[in-house]
Amino acid sequence: MIQYYFLLGVRSLRRNPILTALMVLILAVGVAASVSTLTILHVMSGDPIPHKSERLIVPLVDNGPIKGYTPGEREGDEMSYRDAVNLLASGQGDRRTAIRGVDGTIEPARKDLPVFTAEGLSPTRDFFAMFEVPFVHGGPWSEADDKSGADVMVLGGKLAERLFGNANPVGQRVRFRGFDYAVVGVYGNWKPIPRYHRIIGGPGAFGDEDEFYIPFHNAIRHEMGQNGNMNCSSDRGPGYQALLDSECIWIQFWFELHSASDRPQLQAWLDAYAAEQRKLGRLQRNAPNKLFNVMEWLEEQKVVGKDSRLSAMLAFGFLLLCLVNTIGLLLAKFSVRAPEVGVRRALGASRKEIFTQFLIESAVVGLAGGILGLVLALGALALIGSISEQIAVTTHMDWMMLLVTFVMSVSAAMLAGLLPTWRACQVTPALQLKSQ
Amino acid sequence: MEIKPIFSALMRSKTGPILVAVQVALSLAILANAMHIVSVRQAVAARPTGIANEEEVFNLRVKPLKPGGHEEQLANQKAQAAALRAVPGIVSVADTNQITLSNSGNYNSVAASREQERSNASPSMYVTPDSLVKTWGLKIIDGRDFTPQDAPEIDQNTSKAFPTVALITKATGQKVWPDAPSFVGKKLYYGTGADAREVTVVGVIDTLQTPSAAMGQDGEMSTMVPARITGSSRSLYTLRAEPGQRDRAMKDAEEAIRKLHNGQVVVRTTTQSEERVKRYRADNALCWMLITVSVLLMMVTASGIVGMASLWVTQRRKQIGVRRALGARKLDILRYFVTENLMITTTGIVGGLLGALALNQLLVSKLELARLPAEYMVVGALASWALGIAAVYGPAWRAASISPALATRSA
Repeated sequence: MIQYYFLLGVRSLRRNPILTALMVLILAVGVAASVSTLTILHVMSGDPIPHKSERLIVPLVDNGPIKGYTPGEREGDEMSYRDAVNLLASGQGDRRTAIRGVDGTIEPARKDLPVFTAEGLSPTRDFFAMFEVPFVHGGPWSEADDKSGADVMVLGGKLAERLFGNANPVGQRVRFRGFDYAVVGVYGNWKPIPRYHRIIGGPGAFGDEDEFYIPFHNAIRHEMGQNGNMNCSSDRGPGYQALLDSECIWIQFWFELHSASDRPQLQAWLDAYAAEQRKLGRLQRNAPNKLFNVMEWLEEQKVVGKDSRLSAMLAFGFLLLCLVNTIGLLLAKFSVRAPEVGVRRALGASRKEIFTQFLIESAVVGLAGGILGLVLALGALALIGSISEQIAVTTHMDWMMLLVTFVMSVSAAMLAGLLPTWRACQVTPALQLKSQ
Repeated sequence: MEIKPIFSALMRSKTGPILVAVQVALSLAILANAMHIVSVRQAVAARPTGIANEEEVFNLRVKPLKPGGHEEQLANQKAQAAALRAVPGIVSVADTNQITLSNSGNYNSVAASREQERSNASPSMYVTPDSLVKTWGLKIIDGRDFTPQDAPEIDQNTSKAFPTVALITKATGQKVWPDAPSFVGKKLYYGTGADAREVTVVGVIDTLQTPSAAMGQDGEMSTMVPARITGSSRSLYTLRAEPGQRDRAMKDAEEAIRKLHNGQVVVRTTTQSEERVKRYRADNALCWMLITVSVLLMMVTASGIVGMASLWVTQRRKQIGVRRALGARKLDILRYFVTENLMITTTGIVGGLLGALALNQLLVSKLELARLPAEYMVVGALASWALGIAAVYGPAWRAASISPALATRSA
């Protein structure tokens, strides 16, 4: 019977073409507005590494000056070189890495290419395993290269293609900032959304992929300046060593735990470390030492922008308006069907039957609205994505959002259909038959 | 007037009128807030940077293959500036450490004295050996601009030297010395305590936004010190071209620098207008999204009113015919439907105003937006009335045009 009602519903779409078209259009516009803003929120607040996000941990210790400190405030969300080096040597967790930004000029060996600048990161070797960076050629640099800060480089796919075309560049040289780097690996399509491994500084949470990686100690050895954020509470004095000795914070640190349940142990270790540093005259604020897993870190860094939330809230308000509008239109559509209901009831159909039939008819309208809404939403997303590359990465609809579109549209239509349907059920058969 | 009979008629079938009133209320609540957000964002984007005729200004970044030593960098900077000044159509060139609206810059805490524990403000610090005041056409309201003698040559990798004079914006002065009549001659400290750097304020700039151009007073908290800095991996120049010459001058300037270094250098240029577009891109996008939603909102509401009114006109065809036959003029029928609609929209507007306040409260508490001023509610209410009347006019006119003879015949 439900199948038959569904067919009746499809057929009745044609009965009042203008009214029905208006209804479908309004529902579609409301659903499209909600789905497109929701898609952006969904992508922004997604878990970039679901199977591991509980085990990847950002530690923070507050090394700001005690003078003028009010408890509760925090110096910053990165780490000083001193703390980063100590944590790297700690042996805590399965893996650990310190990340900072580097940039500089690259002189291509091919003479037809001009000199250009490239931006990359300078992490330790564990980085690749921790964030599961996929390699297409070669692999990470060795432990020895990591320790000695050798001139080795992992290229991003785009940069590798720009420099070497489609050939395997492993073993080739890249001249970066005037030094020859040996290419040890090329990583493939790796573009986590959000770019959780380094949100602060650089291209931000929705920026482009890193162009290359060089060892952390290599960038330090060549005294490369920071490309990204740096917070200094006091004047650090001239020279590179002064920067390394200073309390300036500029390095992003990550631990990988063996299991999420190891977190209290890491917390205890970090507290002990901070206490030890306090004895040496550092970390005088004695602020709580914090740990964040991936999702907590994304939340802390406010990766989902307020404007996105605002858009989504207003879009849902709009959907609500469309819903009320649809109630009115369905009421109008069903009200002229009273004679039909009267005949059916007189022939023995129960109220429940009528209810099912009209609700299914509403659902058919919702389904049509969903299809049109999907098209409109895809159009809206393409339009929003054309604003900037940063936004474009968040405007991709996945299967989940596709499903949400239809569920939203059909349930909105059925919700809107409840009152008109109930009204239709109230038709008294005798009265209707008499007036015919 | 016929308000009482219209009201009794409305009370007999409430569902339709309630649906229309709810639509008016919802659209007004959203509309008032959306328009407010749009106007706040546009006011933010319309703030002056302090730079005169921004469309004549462009910026040029030079990155050498290798940084080079202090002397080499000094020589390079001077040669680059000279090459840029020689480009035809260039009015003025200044070396700078940061660009207004570019979002990347230097911020330093400042204090009125060495002794105080907490700094007064964290203004942005522009560093230039030339005259940014001249290149950007900044307005000095008190004191003087830097002279070439003010700017020391500092290698930031080895030296702790610091300039001795500074320019500040009016906003910075007012924050650091709230009650002072004049800021010229005052001592300003970068940092606090023994290592704080002392500078003497020699001039006050009316307005100069920071690179991030944050909202409110923070966006105008700038200071400027004269120095020729080496030890940075890139040089940055800001240039002013003659009116209408910018795009050509920018190309020529880029070419001049490449030629100077035989192509062994990376040059990037941006116009100040591009920096502005980039800075406010997100705000503009949000404004367009809100305007789109608002327009759709009005259209949906209008279609709701039209649909309902048409339905009522059809349902009451016979009654309208009887009324017309009994002597009612076309105008009376028109007035009936317009009055009925006004009553419904007014109810909706009352609900909408409350809804607007509630939505604003939600936005204030969840997203820290500004409070909704009363003007937006007044304008929103007027717009809703106008929309209501415009939407009902068509169906009401159709009702008025019903011929009494035809409508009553079938009865």
